[in-house]
Amino acid sequence: MMTVRRKRRTFARRKICRFCVDSDLRIDYKDAKTLRYFVTERGKIVPRRISGNCAKHQRELTLAIKRARQIALLPYTATHML
Amino acid sequence: MRKYETFFIIDPDLPDETNAALDNKVQSIVASNGGEVLTYVPWGKRKLAYAIRKRTRGLYVLMEYAGGSQLVAELERNLRIDERILKFITVMLAERFDPERERERSAAQPAVVPFSEDEESARTPLGAEDEEEGMPENFEVEGLKDEDEEED
Repeated sequence: MMTVRRKRRTFARRKICRFCVDSDLRIDYKDAKTLRYFVTERGKIVPRRISGNCAKHQRELTLAIKRARQIALLPYTATHML
Repeated sequence: MRKYETFFIIDPDLPDETNAALDNKVQSIVASNGGEVLTYVPWGKRKLAYAIRKRTRGLYVLMEYAGGSQLVAELERNLRIDERILKFITVMLAERFDPERERERSAAQPAVVPFSEDEESARTPLGAEDEEEGMPENFEVEGLKDEDEEED
């Protein structure tokens, strides 16, 4: 049990911001399909550390997701569905 | 003058005539408060991410317009009063409204893309589908995994 080796940095894959790569991809709060990519099943915003977005686009994305939640395009939480 | 957009949800169970009346009402509010409606596009009915006033579906409408801040206040006041409107959001698109540039843009660009058909039907109950599919799973627990193992 104690012999569990700590594997550090096994995956050092380069994360790329897909909004920087593809400039056609716009961040828009009305575009729930794209935003859905950046929220978990429970509706949480996926952190930058995982999605690989750059800081600038992550900020825009966060704002867009929050707006989308306001207008019921994205859920606040996964629970209480009728 | 600024350029704004208001995206709102109408009760989906209303008859068409009521909807038409509502469309007119909203647009006339903008017009009578010194604004100008640029586009008014119904985006179709869609399942809501959460129930609003016990309703799980809604008819989305996107309206772009130019006007001042008092117009927005007045419009939002009216939307709030109207029971047929479930929810709305107003976003400022540009600080200055430039009619000429607007004309160019609308000529160059086709109308906004409303919800695609498949999205409506594909929206199964939440959580049923794996939404994180696109995320590379290897990244999942870079920092957290180590902590777990230490506790063993």
